[in-house]
This record gives sequence, C-alpha cells and structure tokens, in this order.
Amino acid sequence: MTATPEGLCRHCLLPLGRRGFARTVNGESCQFCCYGCCIAHQVKSGSGEASEAAWFLVRLGAGGFLSMNIMLFSLLVYSGAFAGTDRQVLPTIQLLLFGLATPAVLILGEPFLRETWSQARRGRLSTSALIVLGSLAAYLYSTLAVFRLGGHLYFDTAAMVLMLFTLGRYLEAAGRARASRDLAPLLAAESESATVVEGLEEHRRPVREVRAGMLIRVKPGERIPVDGLIVEGCSHTDDSVISGESRQIAKTVGGSVLAGSINLDGPLLIRSSGSGDESRWAQICRSVRDALRQSSRTQRLADRVASAFVPFVLALAALTLVFWAQRLPLDQAMLAALSVLVVACPCAVGLAAPMAHSLGIGQLARHGCLVRSPGALEALAVTRLIAFDKTGTLTLGQLQLVDLAADGVGEDEVLARLAGLERHSEHGLARAIALAARARGLDPIATEDVQIVPGRGLRGVVDGELVAAGSGALMHELGWQLSPALAERADVMATSGHSVVFVGWSEKACAGRAHAALSFDDTPLPEARATLEALRALGIRVTLLTGDHAASAARVAATVGVDEWQAGLLPEAKRLALDQCRPRDGAVAMVGDGLNDGPGLAWADVGIAVGSATDLARETADLVLPGDGLWLLPWVVGRARAVRSTILANLTWAFGYNSVALTCAVLGLLQPILAAAVMAGSSLLVVLNSLRLERLPGPSYPSALQLSAAVRPESTPQPGEQTQRSRQRLEIPQTL
Amino acid sequence: MTYYALLFIAGVAGSFHCIGMCGGFACALGGDPRGPGATVVRHALYNTGRLTTYCFLGGLAGALGWSIYTCLGASSPLGAPVVSETLNAAQRGLAVIAGLLMVLMALQFFGFWGMRRLTTGFGGSTLVIALRSLLTRRGHAAPLAFGVINGFLPCPLVYAMVAQAASTFDVLTGCLTMAAFGLGTFPTMLTMGGLGRLLAPRWRQRGVRLAGSFILALGLVTLGRGLVPMTAGHGLHHHLWHLA
Repeated sequence: MTATPEGLCRHCLLPLGRRGFARTVNGESCQFCCYGCCIAHQVKSGSGEASEAAWFLVRLGAGGFLSMNIMLFSLLVYSGAFAGTDRQVLPTIQLLLFGLATPAVLILGEPFLRETWSQARRGRLSTSALIVLGSLAAYLYSTLAVFRLGGHLYFDTAAMVLMLFTLGRYLEAAGRARASRDLAPLLAAESESATVVEGLEEHRRPVREVRAGMLIRVKPGERIPVDGLIVEGCSHTDDSVISGESRQIAKTVGGSVLAGSINLDGPLLIRSSGSGDESRWAQICRSVRDALRQSSRTQRLADRVASAFVPFVLALAALTLVFWAQRLPLDQAMLAALSVLVVACPCAVGLAAPMAHSLGIGQLARHGCLVRSPGALEALAVTRLIAFDKTGTLTLGQLQLVDLAADGVGEDEVLARLAGLERHSEHGLARAIALAARARGLDPIATEDVQIVPGRGLRGVVDGELVAAGSGALMHELGWQLSPALAERADVMATSGHSVVFVGWSEKACAGRAHAALSFDDTPLPEARATLEALRALGIRVTLLTGDHAASAARVAATVGVDEWQAGLLPEAKRLALDQCRPRDGAVAMVGDGLNDGPGLAWADVGIAVGSATDLARETADLVLPGDGLWLLPWVVGRARAVRSTILANLTWAFGYNSVALTCAVLGLLQPILAAAVMAGSSLLVVLNSLRLERLPGPSYPSALQLSAAVRPESTPQPGEQTQRSRQRLEIPQTL
Repeated sequence: MTYYALLFIAGVAGSFHCIGMCGGFACALGGDPRGPGATVVRHALYNTGRLTTYCFLGGLAGALGWSIYTCLGASSPLGAPVVSETLNAAQRGLAVIAGLLMVLMALQFFGFWGMRRLTTGFGGSTLVIALRSLLTRRGHAAPLAFGVINGFLPCPLVYAMVAQAASTFDVLTGCLTMAAFGLGTFPTMLTMGGLGRLLAPRWRQRGVRLAGSFILALGLVTLGRGLVPMTAGHGLHHHLWHLA
C-alpha cells in the first residue's frame, strides 16, 4: 500500500475540499475529506481493536442512548406526564436530564469542536462552528436553568442537534464512498503492488518500482499490475478497465497482457515490457485523478458562496436574538437564534457537485470513456454543436489504395518510397500504404529525418535526397512541378471523392517533382449515421470539418447524413471554423482522432478524441472515447446532461431549502431540533438524488435496422455535382 | 394491563423471528472472557440499548399521535363530540395500518411475501460492515451502542408496534407499549446469547412458523379493532385473547 495521490480523500477518492484533515491510520498518514470518510476508511481497513471506526460507532450508539433518553424524558415532561400529583419529581428529572446531557454533548460534540478549533487556528470559520455554537448555547443555558434560574430546559435540543448532524455526516460519507465505487479499479493503479520474482525469491513491491524486464507473478483473481508478455502459464483475462468491454480473452505463453486487466483463472508469470507507471492503466489512473481533483466552475462558485455564508449567518443569528429578545422571553429568543445557526449549515452544498461528478465519471469510465475534467462534462451538457473530423472518426479510418498513377517511374518504386516515409506517421493513409506495399512484397525504403507537415503531409530524406508525400499544396510549397498528365489524373481521382496523395522526390540534387498520384478510399463507419441521427435527436447540430479534399468530404457527409461540412481545412482553419460557430451555438465540441485535430480539440470547448487517438490528441482532449466507441457519444452526451441537471437540482435544492428554512428560523417558526432534522434530511436528499444517476440505463449499440440505413448507395452524389460545389459549405438535401 | 400483557406476548412470539437477525447478533456478541457475570452484563447492556431505542420510538410515535390530538382538538370549532369522533377515526386508521403490517409480516414468515426489498435500503451494507466491527470490541459501551443501533435496523415487527404506539395518542402509553413489546423479546434474546448455537435450524424454522401464526392472529385482532366499532372491538379483542 502506498499513499493516495495528494489532494484526494483516502477513502472516497474525492477532492479534499475545505474540511480536509490528516489522520494517522494503521501507522500511515492519510488525508480525509470529512470525518465520516475517516471513519468509513477505518471500518473498511479495520485493524481490530485499535480502529477508531468502532469508537465512532460507540460514540454514535452511546450518544444515541443518552440523547434518546433525554428526548424521552423531555417528551414526557412536555406531554404533562408529570403534571399534577407527580410534580415534586420534576427537579429530580431535571437533574437526571443534566446528567444525561453532559456526556452526550461531550461525546457527540467532540469531532465538531475539534474541526472548529483546527480551522479557527488557520483563521477560518468553518460551518461546524455554527453547530458547536448552537448546541453549546442550548446546553449552557439549560445548565444555568437547572442550577440557578429555573425555567425551560433545552438539553434535548442540544443533544438531538448534535445527534442529527453526526448522522448527516455519516450519510454523506456513505454516499461519497458509494459514488466512487466505479472508480476504484481505475484509481487502484498507483496503490497496487506487484509480486516480483528475483531468482528463487518473490517480493511484493509497489508498481512504480517495477522496471522493464522484471518477472512478475500474477495469481488468479489478481489484477495484472504491469504491461508485459506471458513467460509461463495460460489463463483468461478481463480487460474491461482498459477497453471498457467486459469479455474474457484467452492468453497463453508469448501473449501480451495489459496492466489493469484481471487474471481470471490461471497463474501467470509475466515479463514486464515497461516500467509500472508507464502502462495505459497508470495513465488512465492519472487522468481520472486529475479530473477528480479539479472542481468545476459551478462547484467553485457554490463553495465560495457557502464560505461567505458563515459570517453572514452568525450576524443573522445575533440579529435574530436581539430582535426576539425585546419581544419574547430570553429562552424563546435564544431558540430562534439557535434555529438560525443550525438550519443555515450548508452541508448539502458541498456535496452537490462532487458526488454527481464522480458518479458520472465513474460510469463513463466503466464503459471505457475517460473524462479529463469535470468541467468537460458540464460543458458537453450545454453543447449545441458537435464538429466531427472525418478520417478515423466517422469513417473506419482504414483507407485502401484504389488507384496509382505514376509519371515516368515504376509503381513499385513509388510504393516502396512512400511506405518508407509513412512508416513514421500514424495517419490513416500510412496503414493503407503499408498494406499495399506488403501485398506486392515490397520492402519500405529506409527514410531518415521524417517530419510531419501538419495538414499537408510528410517529408523525409533518403540517401541525402528529399522525399515528400502529401497534398498538392505541399508539392506547391516545395516548388515541385506536376506534369499535366498527372494533374489531370489526380483531378479525376479527386472528383470521384477519393483522397489523393502526391509523392515526389528530388534526384541528384536537382529540384524534385511529383512523380506519382495515389488515390485512397475510406468507408464510413456502419454506426456513424445512426450515431449522428441520435445526436440530432438530442438537439445537437452536427458538422464535418476535414482537412481532406472537398469531394471526398461531400461523399462521406452524404453517406452519414451530415448537412453541413467544410473541407480542405488546415488545423488553424479548423480553429477558425469553430470560432465562427461559437456566436450561434455557444459551446462547441470537436470530435477527432489524429494529429491534425490536436489544435482543434484543444480549441473546442469540449475536445473529444476517439479510438486509437495519438498521444497529442489524447493530451488535448477533454474526453477520450474507446476505440470503435463513436456510437457511445449520444449516450455520453445524455449522461453529461443528466450529471449537469442533477448538480443544478442539488444546488437549487440545497440553497433553496436553506433560504426557505432560514427565513422560517428568523421568523421563529422553526424549532431547533426540527431545523437539524431538516438539514440532515437535506443531505440525505442530495445523496439520494445523486445516486439516481446510477439507475440510468447503460449505452446500447444501434440496432441492425438503424445500421442498415447507414450505407445507402443512392445518397452518394454524382461526381459532376460535386465539382461545382467543391470547397464551399454545401447543403446536400437529406435523402431520408 | 391486558393490553400490555398482549404486547409482551407479541414480543415473546415475535422474538422467534428475531432469532434470524438479532439473535445472530446476540450470538456474535458472545461471551466475555472475564467470566459469566461479565457476559450477563454484556448482554444486558445490549438489550438495554435495544429497549431504549424501542421506548424512544414508542414515545416519539406517541408524541406524534398526541400532537395530532392537540391539533384536532384546537382546530375543531364544533366541540368535543366531533373531536372524539375524528380521533376515533384516526386511531382506527392507525390500527388498520398496524394490523396490515403485522399480517404482511406474518405472511412473510410463512414465505409468502418478499419484504426484503422493502427493508434493505440505502447504506445497509455500509452499516452492517460498521456494526460488525462493534461486535468484537470489548468494554461496556460497545454492546450498549450496538443495541441502540440494532434497535433502528429495519424490522417490520417494530414498524407494526410503532404504528400501535402512535395509535395510543400519548407519549407515556406509546413508550410503555414499546417497552412491553421490547421486554417480551428479552427472554429469547438473552437465552440466544447462550443457547443460540445449540438450537438446530429445524427448531428455528418451527419457531418462526409459531411466531408467524401468533403475529397473524394479533394482526387480525388489531385490524379488527380498526374496522369494527370501538366497543364491539374490545369485546372481540378479549374474546380472541381467550381463544389464544
């Protein structure tokens, strides 16, 4: 066991927040967000007698015993059970109440008092100060009444207020722990340990100390701690933490295993292929943790309001006391002020957003969707426009070589050079080229110094000569000529909607020229159309922004049913296009996968990377969908909206409830015990309302019927139409 | 007095049901290494905690009834007869609720009804884990606390009795109602502390059946008290009581 990352509660893994404190448990220094979590953690990791958790329950139980007796006797007194002949026992009853109340206040009030004190030493006024002040006032007044003044006793108020707030804290902690349940396997990466085999000995070591090449033993039922290859044994694994798909995969010697997957049925010996903190699992873990650590704008605002609240409430309570003291007996006035203190405690406000967020992030993570900041979820919920990149996002991204036009060179030489160059790219074209070269039995020509020219192509060096592949614009920039015949062939290729790549190289230090044009075809994803329709049904406008040729953009746009598209956009132009949409649509989201989209993803309010997103795209994206996960997008949007509406409902409830109750309390209409019950109820309602998110349905893959509508040949426009409309925003009538 | 005796018997019979859940706790609470005396103290504390919770719930329910009473008394412009009539109706309504709860519970004993979903709600598992840690703890406060929390665990029998207590419209009577019931569960629960492990499952099942029959009868009597006019209800009440 290693320490939990800084800034997160050890138990519920939520941000520490204002009430955070440190405590030593089982000899480890742990950070907790609230007292309840500290307790719950100790209950879970309970080390027998010493655990303070049991002490908390003893505290709650013994406090409950005392306060219930106090309440019972007080009720009997109020209901007049000791009226008439039994009147002489009243002083004895009062002494008894004092005897019961003193330990009750000490036992139940101690955590609140400690919290108030530790915050006060840092010059802060915490919300627990309200509770401490309220219950102490009631207790001290009643004590004076017993021994000096006579009059009404409010021991029941003091005890029950403390009791109900303790209960509220416990509910809060239980709710938070439950909310983070889905996230636990994702966040386990950093606290996991591995059984390292060294010679004949085996040691348990933290995962971050594991280096490449170490041998790791994994027992059945354990999580595989690092990426690696199987050296010994065979088993089934469940990769759901990484891929989001829960299915068993058979693994034998030589097979690769992923960190984070569960070894289901056989013992395995694994040779680690990288250090423990480089696995995808560890990366996911870091990104989820970062997401949880940030608080969204809504929550920051709510927190600020809540903290400004405390002094305001203290002033209000004082005013209430002064006001009512002039009109009513002192004890009545004090009761009203006490109600103000108790009812204003904004416990539910602090809980409103984090719980909904971690539930949302956890559920998305369970289906392989990673959220990098809670703000992204809230932004996605209000997004009215989603821009898609084409290649690899709406299409399979698996291009196939369709045509090759060479100008004075052999086709094999073109392919071999191109394959050598594209080996350094992750673009969808590279794979198609590699496949085509392999099909012809060609070896890629080794190329050095390869550079990516964003939005245009690649350039590299072979034997001191420059080689470049990419768009016509790249050839133009290099000053390389196209022969008229080649240009004509390329035009034909482009007008039939295919992606065209020019290949050129320089020879013998002369200026190079374009030697060949290749055309590639890409098929739209089968579920793309159904997905976009589902998004439109959610009231979201869909647009296509691609760096590709207009004709191929038009073809894909028509097939997947997109009305608006812009083609031939460089990364900077994508940013501009997004900017143009902002005034009309407010928040915009961009979905993409490649290097080209990096700036676009970063510039959009929500950047969504799909599938085998390259690292840069993943870094700039706010949300990462799993490979083949485009169909999840409507569900993700729905989930984001549910999270946002839950948070808004929680905050409305918490603030609305507080202000109504506060008004009642100021007017003297609310008994303090009722006020405390109201506040505990408010916390409970926020917890329950957030947990409703758990019950929403999971994603469902589009049905066969929806998919069959995806590829419709008649919706492909004729080449002649496209040339007239190319390079502008097109309005192709929808055929459905 | 017959009323309290009846409730005491209900507690005794009902506690056969308790063998399942609370009896398990009592067994788990086990003995005290410091000797039989300490063990008795331990179990007495546990049961005192439970009884306190029951009394509190009863008193609270009675207070609720009492506040309904004062509300109705204060707000009725037509004077006492109408008040007593409304009260009568309210009292009978509560008796019907209590009776129905008991009948439902009895049916559950016979295996007819799945009330489990109703009674295991939010946070149940968390609470159970937490309670488990209390069981192994030594000292006097732990069993007391355990009893107090145990008393709040969802139990349809307790719900039925609380509804009974509410229908009394008096704090003291409500409290005593629950006290009588709670004391009724004492013999079994105290015995369970020592004998629990010896009792064969088959005997437990018979006990649960027996409890089911008795609670069904009590539920029907309570239901009758709500449905049949008050005076006749008392007659029936006594009649059935003698039959049992």
